[in-house]
Amino acid sequence: MNTPMPGMGDTKMVIGLGHYLTVSAILLVLGIFGIFLNRKNVIVILMSIELILLAVNLNLVAFSAALADLAGQVMAMFVLTVAAAEAAIGLAIVVIYSRNRGSIEVEDVTMMKG
Amino acid sequence: MNWTLAIPEIVLSCCGMAILLYGVLSRGNAFFMSSMLSVGALLLTGVLVLSTDAGSGFFGLFITDAFSAYIKLTILVAAALSIVMALGYAEHANMQRFEFPVLILLCSVGMLVMASASSLMTLYMGIELMSLSIYVLAAFARDDLRSSEAGLKYFVLGALASGLLLYGISLVYGFAGSMSFDALGAALADPKKVSAGLVTGIVFIVAGLAFKISAVPFHMWTPDVYEGAPTPVTAFMGTAPKVAAMALLVRSLAGPFSDLLGQWQQLIILVSIASMLLGSLAAIGQSNIKRLMAYSSIGHMGYALIGLAAGTPAGIRGVLIYLVTYVFMNSGTFACIIAMRRRGRAVEGIADLGGLSKTDPGLALALAIFMFSMAGIPPFSGFWGKYFIFSAAVAQGMWPIAVIGVLTSVIGAYYYVRIIKVMYFDNAEPAFDARPASLSFVAAASCIFTTFFFLFPAPLVAAADAAARALLG
Amino acid sequence: MFYAIAVFAPLLGSLIAGLLGRSIGDRAAQAVTILCMVLASICGVASFIDLVYNGVPAGVISLGTWVEAGSFHVSWALRYDTLSAVMVAMVTCVATLIHIYSVGYMSHDKSNPRFFSYLSLFSFAMLMLVTADNLLQLFFGWEGVGLMSYLLIGFWYHKPSACAAAMKAFIVNRVGDLGFAVGIALVFFVFGTITFGEIFEAIGAHQNDAYQVFGTSFRAYEVIGILLFIGAMGKSAQLGLHVWLPDAMEGPTPVSALIHAATMVTAGVFLMARMSPLLDYAPGALGFIAVVGGSTALFAATIGCVQNDIKRVIAYSTCSQLGYMFIAAGVGAYQASIFHLLTHAFFKALLFLAAGSVIHAMSDEQDIRKMGGIWKKIPITYTVFWIGSLALAGVYPFAGYFSKDAILEAAYAAHSASGTYGFICGLLAAFLTAFYSWRLIILTFHGAPRADHHTMEHVHESPWVMTGPLILLAIGAITTGIGFHEEILGEHWHAFWGESIRIASTNHVLHDMEELAPWVGLAPSVVGLAGIALAYLLYMGMPTVPAQLAQSFGVIYRLLLNKWYFDEIYAALLIRPITALARLLWQVGDATIIDGIPNGLASLTSSSSGQVVKVQTGSIAHYAFAMLIGVVVLVGVFLIFR
Repeated sequence: MNTPMPGMGDTKMVIGLGHYLTVSAILLVLGIFGIFLNRKNVIVILMSIELILLAVNLNLVAFSAALADLAGQVMAMFVLTVAAAEAAIGLAIVVIYSRNRGSIEVEDVTMMKG
Repeated sequence: MNWTLAIPEIVLSCCGMAILLYGVLSRGNAFFMSSMLSVGALLLTGVLVLSTDAGSGFFGLFITDAFSAYIKLTILVAAALSIVMALGYAEHANMQRFEFPVLILLCSVGMLVMASASSLMTLYMGIELMSLSIYVLAAFARDDLRSSEAGLKYFVLGALASGLLLYGISLVYGFAGSMSFDALGAALADPKKVSAGLVTGIVFIVAGLAFKISAVPFHMWTPDVYEGAPTPVTAFMGTAPKVAAMALLVRSLAGPFSDLLGQWQQLIILVSIASMLLGSLAAIGQSNIKRLMAYSSIGHMGYALIGLAAGTPAGIRGVLIYLVTYVFMNSGTFACIIAMRRRGRAVEGIADLGGLSKTDPGLALALAIFMFSMAGIPPFSGFWGKYFIFSAAVAQGMWPIAVIGVLTSVIGAYYYVRIIKVMYFDNAEPAFDARPASLSFVAAASCIFTTFFFLFPAPLVAAADAAARALLG
Repeated sequence: MFYAIAVFAPLLGSLIAGLLGRSIGDRAAQAVTILCMVLASICGVASFIDLVYNGVPAGVISLGTWVEAGSFHVSWALRYDTLSAVMVAMVTCVATLIHIYSVGYMSHDKSNPRFFSYLSLFSFAMLMLVTADNLLQLFFGWEGVGLMSYLLIGFWYHKPSACAAAMKAFIVNRVGDLGFAVGIALVFFVFGTITFGEIFEAIGAHQNDAYQVFGTSFRAYEVIGILLFIGAMGKSAQLGLHVWLPDAMEGPTPVSALIHAATMVTAGVFLMARMSPLLDYAPGALGFIAVVGGSTALFAATIGCVQNDIKRVIAYSTCSQLGYMFIAAGVGAYQASIFHLLTHAFFKALLFLAAGSVIHAMSDEQDIRKMGGIWKKIPITYTVFWIGSLALAGVYPFAGYFSKDAILEAAYAAHSASGTYGFICGLLAAFLTAFYSWRLIILTFHGAPRADHHTMEHVHESPWVMTGPLILLAIGAITTGIGFHEEILGEHWHAFWGESIRIASTNHVLHDMEELAPWVGLAPSVVGLAGIALAYLLYMGMPTVPAQLAQSFGVIYRLLLNKWYFDEIYAALLIRPITALARLLWQVGDATIIDGIPNGLASLTSSSSGQVVKVQTGSIAHYAFAMLIGVVVLVGVFLIFR
């Protein structure tokens, strides 16, 4: 995974594909952990989801550059667009939920179980 | 770029927009009219699907073949049945809003795109279009706490699942160098190119799709969301999206990743066994019929996965037949569940069905037929679905999984038959309200299909065969 | 096209009446089913005339593929040949008349749409049976008529006796069906196909196939023939499996007329005729058929002489006449057996419906000991009853004369041991037939009234919806014999039957029939007239003698009255031991061992169900965590198995 990015040449500090992937993996893990370790607020979950999508975008763009293939960047644009729509819908659902329940505590979202 | 191949999708989106516009502009309640228009749009799309040639368009992003046509028609039928069912439900539940059929139309567009996806990009777009619509639908009864909780749960977990899926896509893209299924298939033909990163990517993609078909261990949302969502939405979620996601799973695993069969087979078998076991075990203790149907659907997807695990044309054919029989059984059952209504209030307990054979023999008979069919008792269609799946698995020498499948169906039969027992032998509860004609229609149509499938199975089997061959050559 | 309409119109009528019956009402349900049946009978007769007289070629009307599994290929198709067309025309006509009759007979019943729906559905299943192009479709129709028979016998399900009779019919028929199903399987193993056309083409090729069992060799054709005949025995109530038919009279009378006289019970005879190309090469099976047929004919006739229930007398008579048909089939005269089937359909339906009319007039009384002296009050019923009885007894020129004569001649002409046995039994049965028919007429209609005053006051002729069909059937009972005799059995029978009945080149029985001594042809008429005369003498002339006879020959009388103790023997030999065994197995095997294991498993299952459900906490965090664990495990599995 430590192959240097083509075209970067031999500079002192090589920021290769591996670095991008690592950062994005960290972002992904942060996002996932944000979803299931957070016990307070549903809004935090929405932010965690954005974090995951961010990780993906970073991955896509890094691969796109590394492969010299535009498909990854096109995909990243799509992901951005979809993420915006998703955030809008998510917030709307949170709004009606808080209106019905009077709270957006994550631990309250357990009415149905079994 | 041959855009004509996508005419059904284009027409359906335009119809969706037009109906939305009509709903916004019309005075008074446009629910009934827009529902009818939507059913018409779905029918029109069905005709267009039938008349579309096979081919590949949009620079390889989009493919139409016998497989996609088969899946699309199934999806359209399921969506149309759901809209008709909602007609009977919305009257009572204050859900007469024209956005409902429009959302189902948009969702259907997403599913049609999924059926035709031949690139990871199309796959993602299709799934998101479908999922976003369903998030809204799940929370559609916006004054109902349970519905909004279902929406919230489904949204959060669904977003997580699509995050995983996307991450998988990015890994596969990076390590195989392409998003197109054809190029992926060519690249993976060389075993040396299969790196750990690629494998991880594939697992993430499978996880994302498994979430949509609610296979164990990505099933956790299913019971809660099934219970909370308005019943017509549950009926819809239980049929068309499952078909679309299963089709996508089949197309990607049997298509570009077919050279890795030996590896993902283990994965699918594991998921399938877990789903069958959980589906049959967890359902036993349920008292809410919608929750029970959730576990039942988990089990059914487990059975369908056996056919995929077989990896042969016969196995894929089994999956396709199973999906169609499942759609009809499920739609019919939910039509019966929607009809469970006393003095204007929906009831969902299994105990509420007590003595139904005396108060409403027609409904009881229909529900009994669906339950027998789900339990896989001949001559109903559910038996034949299972038969094709198991025979394909046995032909591949996969005895153990077939045996587990039969054993879990026996366990499953227990709770299906229990419902029949409650309806026919328990003391009568008060009668249900008169059921709307739309529900009777859906239940009767599904009932006729389920009961008489064995008389004319040949056309469906032939179509499924053609579809499976289109995929595996 | 007409042909397909004839088959499917009853289905349509049945569906409408059955599904919408409650919302459209009794009248509309009746009207719809009758209209569909009339349409079907017009189309049925038209396609029969087209085929036989207008030279339309026979063929197969394909309706689509049914099962396609490897080499096992079955299609839905309607076979269009003379045998099927004759049956279609007969079934649709008789069924139509019985539908119309039922309007009057069932007018006091509350579940009219259900009745008419069943009746039409039965007609459809029967038509499926007779038009089947392969054995599986025939089996489908076979089971369909069995099911409808079960439902219709038990139509008055609040009567325990009706439910018991329905169960009995169903179970006895299963015994026969088992033989039939195994026979079909053997046909598939021998021929590799179950389509009639292909089987008949391959008849020559498998003549010498044989099975070795315990060192003895059985020819395949013989085994298949016997197995198929066991199926026919169940459905057609032949000796041994006949016990359900008299009990089936618990159903409404139109049902008895349609199902247990005219159509369903003749399905076994039809099966024999349909499989005639194969049976002609199985002389052993044919001999067996003739012996069983002859025995049934005589045996049922003896019982018929002493029964006191008007419908049971006719039921035993049906049993006996079916025996005649099997005698004919057993000596290779399939044409004669179908001919008797046709004429019998008319006169037996007529007798049953007339009996129904009598029962109707007598305020639902069925015991002939409580009738008598009513012939002047119900003249139409009385007349048609005579016509039916004359046809049944085989008096010239009524229909039964021609067909029964032909059967007895054929049996004599066969010059085989089984044929001669059939001939003797048939001749004796003919005498008894005439005797019990006139015993029935005299006891029912003549003499001093034995019913109470109240009933006698209410005796009245039935309404025209009931007498109309009676008159039409009476015309059929007079004309079918004289009209079709030459065509069906004469020298040019081949022109009528076409390829539908193909007999081996060694089978000359129809030809030999023409060259018999004259006394053979006269004998049935003579014994028939003698039987009538005896009945007159005993019951009209000396009404006290029968009771004295019954007393002095008490043993024989009781033997006959109790139907040769068949039910009791079965109860002692089969039912009680099986019930005892079942109870033993239930108590020891089932309750302790077999139930023990599933109950243990079940409690294990439900407790594990509780554990599984515990995971479902409802918390988003837990769900997300499960997904993550799932992904990690799957990645691990994938990487390990790579």
